[in-house]
Amino acid sequence: MSLQEIVIQQLFNGLLLGSFYGLVALGYSMVYGIIRLLNFAHADIYMVGGFCSLSLLTFFGGTFIGNGWLGIIVSMFITMIIVGLLGVVIERVAYKPLREAPRLSLLISALGVSMILYNSAMVVTSGEYRPYKTGLSYEGFSIGSVFITHTQAILIVAAVILMLILHLFITRTMYGKAMRAISMDRDCCRLMGVNVNKIIALTFFVGTALAASAGMMAGVYYGSLHFYMGFVIGIKAFTAAVIGGIGIIPGAMLGGLMLGLLESFGTQIPFIGSAWKDVFSFIILILILIFKPTGLLGKKESERM
Amino acid sequence: MAKRLWILAFAVVLIASGVFGCSPTPPAGDEEKPDGAEAPQFDGEILVGIMVPVTGSEATYGQDMENAMKIAADEINAAGGILGKELKFTLGDDGCDPQMCTAAASKLVSSEVVAVLGGYCSGATIPALKIYGDAKVPFIITAANSTELIKENPGWAFMINSPGYHQADAAANCFERLDVSKLAFVHQGDGFSENLAELTRDEWLSRGHEVVAYDVVNKGEQDFSSLVTKIRSSGAEGVYWTAYHADGAMLIMQLRQGGYTGEITVADGSSSVQLLEIAGAAGEGVYCTSPPVVDYLPAAQRFISAYNTKHNQEPGPYAGLAYDGTYLLADAIERAGSTDPDAIRDALAATENFETLCATITFTPENVLEKSNFMILKGEGGKWTLIE
Repeated sequence: MSLQEIVIQQLFNGLLLGSFYGLVALGYSMVYGIIRLLNFAHADIYMVGGFCSLSLLTFFGGTFIGNGWLGIIVSMFITMIIVGLLGVVIERVAYKPLREAPRLSLLISALGVSMILYNSAMVVTSGEYRPYKTGLSYEGFSIGSVFITHTQAILIVAAVILMLILHLFITRTMYGKAMRAISMDRDCCRLMGVNVNKIIALTFFVGTALAASAGMMAGVYYGSLHFYMGFVIGIKAFTAAVIGGIGIIPGAMLGGLMLGLLESFGTQIPFIGSAWKDVFSFIILILILIFKPTGLLGKKESERM
Repeated sequence: MAKRLWILAFAVVLIASGVFGCSPTPPAGDEEKPDGAEAPQFDGEILVGIMVPVTGSEATYGQDMENAMKIAADEINAAGGILGKELKFTLGDDGCDPQMCTAAASKLVSSEVVAVLGGYCSGATIPALKIYGDAKVPFIITAANSTELIKENPGWAFMINSPGYHQADAAANCFERLDVSKLAFVHQGDGFSENLAELTRDEWLSRGHEVVAYDVVNKGEQDFSSLVTKIRSSGAEGVYWTAYHADGAMLIMQLRQGGYTGEITVADGSSSVQLLEIAGAAGEGVYCTSPPVVDYLPAAQRFISAYNTKHNQEPGPYAGLAYDGTYLLADAIERAGSTDPDAIRDALAATENFETLCATITFTPENVLEKSNFMILKGEGGKWTLIE
């Protein structure tokens, strides 16, 4: 492979990885934006999404829908609804009662939810890796020695579409406007007659559904699921959200894509093993935060007392 | 009143557990000889110690080994025993713990065993080497294979499982058979997989071939796409994965997804069938260097069915070697012509091309297998099949 081909190949690899990070980062960012909570359970929602879609896909595999693209789209749709509702339930049970409590209590509650989710998944799967069987093949396009499977290409497109829909939802609808307004001043919104509880629940629904879709895409792409699979990506996605400017929707997408690209090019630096790619990407991220502490798209915010 | 009820309930539970839970299992001997009437007449007995963990985290493997040795002993006794004497066992539980191992070894020595079979955990086998050496008890180590054992051996222990460096050899042979010259190594940075990758790399270079990539992936990482690009751009014709099956399966899938078409071989940490289950179509044609597991050995089918009938389960990964060790000992005592420890040791050392299920046994001067017993498996139709 020539240098050019390596760059193109890595660009695609980085885009795919980055869109996973971006989808998960969106949920972190939205939830933080609206109730100032670092939702630790978010990474486990990603894992639950993976497993939920696997059960659905296995079920559809036996019917006329099959486990090809049609089955994947149908399962993805249902998974996003089911897991989105799970997100709403989690918010109602674990976060809403603590909304006026000190922020640390909320954080501990989120940690608790995270543990409940991944420990339950561990019990159900007895801690084993589960193969993610789909009807997809490894066929793809090759340009020179650059090789991209159809699956990879479609997943990148799907992620971009989801992000676009979200962007339109946030900027063009009343619900989106309400979300943005609540993130600025919750009490004022209540006084203006916005149903704050409903909008917060909706935010959780959308954020979790996106993470669930990312979990499913990861299953389709990597071919296996594990109860702890959310851990690493959770940390990375959270980082992506911070880099882009936490609470800012386009920032999460940008941060995710950037982290994905940094990682995929970091591996290619000569004489540095793949084990060092995280070190490389995090050094750059630290540099960004030193020069722009609010993140790439972050605005300066005066502390409200 | 309520308190009394509690006490009563407690007493009932205690009695029940006494009756059902802790009731001693009936002595195995009763059911072992349905054909007791035609059992051969023995001229005394030969007492052999079994040292395996039957409690603790490794208990399942220890139990498998003990079961396999007993099956071998039953067959040997049914064929007339050793030197006309009956082969009998006494158990010492090492619990995979160095301290328990010392106690177990002392117990076996004081019950005056002729020889000892077993040794599963290397850490819980090393302390026994000196005890058996001092007491002049020949010791056949049927599973443990750390190179430390070779260093600490005072000369009375014999290892019938290949030490780790034999795997490097097996892997190099495998790739040479596949006509590969440029090799990429991927490990996971833990002691085991890194050590194996290093050994194999050195072996590969010393055979005059080329190593084009040597890389490590982090545990828990899902995305290997960049590594795949690196391997493809290095022009590697073969990839050797030295770590474990779950991540190995993902690497294999991503290699194939990324358009890599060369050979892939995985090491024993990935020999689980789960690797093929997860990898699916990508697992077809993947090779594996694996220690001898009876499931894949055609010669062992009789042993497997004997094990299934008797214990109603599959023999574990080390059962075959335990069975082999018992036969090796019986053969050595026959050749020694007596139960004199020096004679048995010399006979063991002089073992030449002794055919067993898992390997052909000839010992080096260090009492280690001369030839590797690692097998080469190939993934075909979602199952491993024996190639070599």
